[in-house]
Amino acid sequence: MTATENPESASPETNPGVPFTLNGVEFHANDGELLIDAAKRHGVHIPHFCYHPRMTPVGMCRMCLVEVDTGRGAGLQPSCMLPVTPNMKVNTESEPTTKAQDGVLELLLINHPLDCPVCDKGGECPLQDNAYAFGPGESRFVEEKRHYEKPIPISDLVYLDRERCILCDRCTRFASEVAGDPLIHFIGRGAQTEVNTFPEHEFSSYFSGNTVQICPVGALTAKPYRFAARPWDLSETESTSMVDSTGARVALHSSQDRLVRIQGVDSDATNWGWLSDKERFIYEATDSPERLTEPLVRDGSGDAVPTRWNNAVKQVVEALARPSDPRRIGVIGGARLTLESQYAWAKLLKGLGAVDNIDAQLGDGLPAELVLGLPKATIDSACQPGGVVVLLGPDLKEELPTLYLRLRHAIQFDGVSLVEISPRVTSFGDTVAARLNPLPGATGQIAKALADGMVGTSIGRSSAEELSAAHKLLISDRPVTVILGRGNLAESTDIIASAVASLRRANPNAKFLTALRRGNVHGALEMGLTPGYLPGAQPLSAAVDGWDMAPRSRGLDTAGILKSAVNGTLDTLVLLGADPLTDFPDSKLAAAAFERVGTVISVDTFMTASTGRADVVLPAAMFGEVDGTFLNLEGRISPVQAKVTSPGQTRADWMIAAEVAAAAGGDLGFTTLAELRSDIAANVPGFSDVHWDRTGHGADGPVITGIRSWEPTLTETAPIPPADDYGLRLVVDRKLWDNGTMTLAAASLKGQVGDAVMSVSPADLARLRIPSGNEASVAVGGGDARTVVVMSDPRVPVGAAHVPFHLNGVDASDFLVTGQPVIDIRIQAL
Amino acid sequence: MGYFEGFGVTLKQWGVGTTTKEYRGGRTNRQGEINPKDQKAPKPERVHGRHVLNRYEDGMEKCIGCELCAGVCPANCIYVRGKDNPVEDPKSPGERYGYVYEINYLRCIHCDLCVEACPTQAITETKLFEFSFTNRQDAIYTKDELLVGDDGKPQNLPWEDWRPGEDEHTSGWMRATSSSGKASFLGTTNWNGELGYGVRPSELPQDEKDASVTLAAAEHDHSDHDHSDHDHSDHGGH
Ligand code: SF4
Ligand code: SF4
Ligand code: SF4
Ligand code: FES
Repeated sequence: MTATENPESASPETNPGVPFTLNGVEFHANDGELLIDAAKRHGVHIPHFCYHPRMTPVGMCRMCLVEVDTGRGAGLQPSCMLPVTPNMKVNTESEPTTKAQDGVLELLLINHPLDCPVCDKGGECPLQDNAYAFGPGESRFVEEKRHYEKPIPISDLVYLDRERCILCDRCTRFASEVAGDPLIHFIGRGAQTEVNTFPEHEFSSYFSGNTVQICPVGALTAKPYRFAARPWDLSETESTSMVDSTGARVALHSSQDRLVRIQGVDSDATNWGWLSDKERFIYEATDSPERLTEPLVRDGSGDAVPTRWNNAVKQVVEALARPSDPRRIGVIGGARLTLESQYAWAKLLKGLGAVDNIDAQLGDGLPAELVLGLPKATIDSACQPGGVVVLLGPDLKEELPTLYLRLRHAIQFDGVSLVEISPRVTSFGDTVAARLNPLPGATGQIAKALADGMVGTSIGRSSAEELSAAHKLLISDRPVTVILGRGNLAESTDIIASAVASLRRANPNAKFLTALRRGNVHGALEMGLTPGYLPGAQPLSAAVDGWDMAPRSRGLDTAGILKSAVNGTLDTLVLLGADPLTDFPDSKLAAAAFERVGTVISVDTFMTASTGRADVVLPAAMFGEVDGTFLNLEGRISPVQAKVTSPGQTRADWMIAAEVAAAAGGDLGFTTLAELRSDIAANVPGFSDVHWDRTGHGADGPVITGIRSWEPTLTETAPIPPADDYGLRLVVDRKLWDNGTMTLAAASLKGQVGDAVMSVSPADLARLRIPSGNEASVAVGGGDARTVVVMSDPRVPVGAAHVPFHLNGVDASDFLVTGQPVIDIRIQAL
Repeated sequence: MGYFEGFGVTLKQWGVGTTTKEYRGGRTNRQGEINPKDQKAPKPERVHGRHVLNRYEDGMEKCIGCELCAGVCPANCIYVRGKDNPVEDPKSPGERYGYVYEINYLRCIHCDLCVEACPTQAITETKLFEFSFTNRQDAIYTKDELLVGDDGKPQNLPWEDWRPGEDEHTSGWMRATSSSGKASFLGTTNWNGELGYGVRPSELPQDEKDASVTLAAAEHDHSDHDHSDHDHSDHGGH
């Protein structure tokens, strides 16, 4: 039984359903319910291999055969393919049923290697379990078994042992039906049938780890977990992934106080059991030798040397007390923290320190007004059958992969129509109902045209047909959800705000999902780690109990803080798990800021470029080591749980905040997590009845934010005219695998980071007379030219040039300039 | 009154002499012979002593690091970690080998369940229990200490008292059940050859064995023993 299987609940009160007899007892099934599900709901387990509740049944394995009589006499039928029909008589224990089960298992085991002692699945293997429970106990097969080369790598993360495969089609079905990466398939015939990749194409899917989890045998195993532990020495805790803001439910598995595996938990509201490989394998980072384990301070010679906590904390207090004015303190980061730690730091800095230069987003997010103030949708409401989704943002597969899977399913199976307003063609490909790829600067214009119904003529590359299709969907009476994100780091957020204003005008009932990629960034904004707000999206003028020193005037965002440092008006910079030197889009600005700023304090888990420049480093415990709470992009609250002991002298972030407060002679008002939670419940609107410790099946916490007493003020701005005939508009976006701190710290993941190239539409490349794959010279404005490889890519609109951020190869931040609404570059043949 | 009664026990023992004897560890006399006073008492064939990790006849380790022994151990004293076999220099046949193997003899209760669980007869128990340590480190036997030497014989660690011939019957031969999981070895050898001892003949059925020990006892045994649980088939245990 895999962790993704989850019984659905029925409502027999409202609709009595379909009567049927199961082992002599009368039950009712839901309309159209499969026999295997109905039986499970009534407590009868039918053994199975290929059936998976989140995928289309295929009837491959025949393990689920049961004796069914529909009035024409009893016969064996696969219960995973059979919807319950009225008065069907089912016997799961009859002689023919058990004989069929014996036969299926004997047949499966004929060529099965019985590697159980060295098989990673041994101990949690459905084939073992079913063989014991339903098998014949003896085999009549004494001949030599079929042999294949033992595990072959089908990707950097997954091994395939073809001898163990029982050809259930789960992995291949997942790859094509769920992930949309049909890179593995059955090949061969009869006894020689095997799962394999296509020649020269490895199974390089962002979701490959799911096949390991759903494989009912040990045929697919994960390289990072290979031989790391056996099921009986694992201990397990349910938690919430903090890799991105979807908040996928996960099970953390540890052995000997080390995290060794993460598995997806089937949560109806969020991830349906699926995980991206980043969410699945990121646990390796907790063990990284790069972890910070003791406090560091810079000594007289400029080296960071280990010190005692109280000395480090004393220096932090001094650095925070030294500036004459709280406006000379800047704080960047906080999305890594749990909700409780975010509140503790916000209370320390805002409530007691009057600092408002606090920003949890590093210039790559959305204005807090939009995130906090727009009416929220949920993932379920966005994916409801017959809905319309407007994607005003990035390629979700790159930024929020589990949300991508949910949306992909909704489009493929539930008739959801997707209107794509993205700077380039996303991974939804041809499944979209209308595709608009405005050039940077014209996003607002397209949205305005949709709102005004000015869709008779094409705008840029968006044709009149696409525009009018999008317009019709937007104003239809189907439920409309806008998924809002930052699809282009080189386009200012004012343009996005303008587009949002138009879309709201077009359809005032539209609901919003803010697709920000950083883990708990929604929690950070909610807890006040953003300029201009107190926790619960309250204005600075609000009176919050215990926040006596709260600032009264709005502070600076990350770009403002960095500029202030460059201007010499910033004395102390606090980094809450942030690395602006590599993570802020305009790395030149960040580097200049670090040159001029006074003291840098870093509260972090890893030695990053920015932490390496800090004067005081406080080591923090990370995901998997701390208890807390997560707020996902819907505003859904779910628990984060500790599984292993944090290394060295690391501490939970909220404890560090409390420590600093105490050393400064202040009082945060809490010394335990429970007291901290009561403080949040008492002072943050919406959090008064949160059940902090929910786990298990009730763990899909409620959506607790979303209704505000205020509305974001949005203005529609004029489009920015296209660049001159020679310039191209820059599109910079994120990939799943980038040189982020966590990815690099996870041994198996760092090899996934690819090389960035600049991609341009084939038409532009032809016009520039540059063969695809050649080097060219690229310059921004009158700046220095850089030599980069330019590729032709039909997904990029004519007039644009695309570079992913923070990969190896071309450094996109070379071209990004803070404060520009859009960026035009020039490409010339060398 | 009762105050003095307690001393009665002490007084009764006065001058009786001790029954606990110092273990003298096989001191030898000038001729190099073991002092007859220091002879070990004969042990039953199946006595459970400290473990060994066996090798195949070609020198490969039998242990595949499967952790079944660690999983079954009721005293939680075994710690095993598996790893991919190095391709160039495999330690054991197959994909996986045990790269950490430790038994803590401060905890081990010598129940032999690990021996029963082992799918490869890698771990077996010797008859040796005459070992004592003065520190915890010595008490935790590592893989290097448990593995048989290049001759296939158990290693004699400094704090152990091995006598000639005591290394016999340290191998897979000492399991109580056959490796198919059946409670009898009747008719089948069922243990693979090993370095140092090669292949051993199959064990006698219990009744014949009993008969070979004392006829009388065997006769008695027979009368109230039902051998119907003896199953000769070893096919298809999965
Ligand atoms: S897949 Fe299951 S039955 Fe097959 S070797 Fe692995 S544990 Fe054993
Ligand atoms: S590899 Fe696993 S999931 Fe894929 S077909 Fe074989 S048994 Fe099924
Ligand atoms: S001794 Fe046997 S049971 Fe223990 S890990 Fe090695 S092979 Fe497995
Ligand atoms: S589960 Fe029904 S045929 Fe496989």
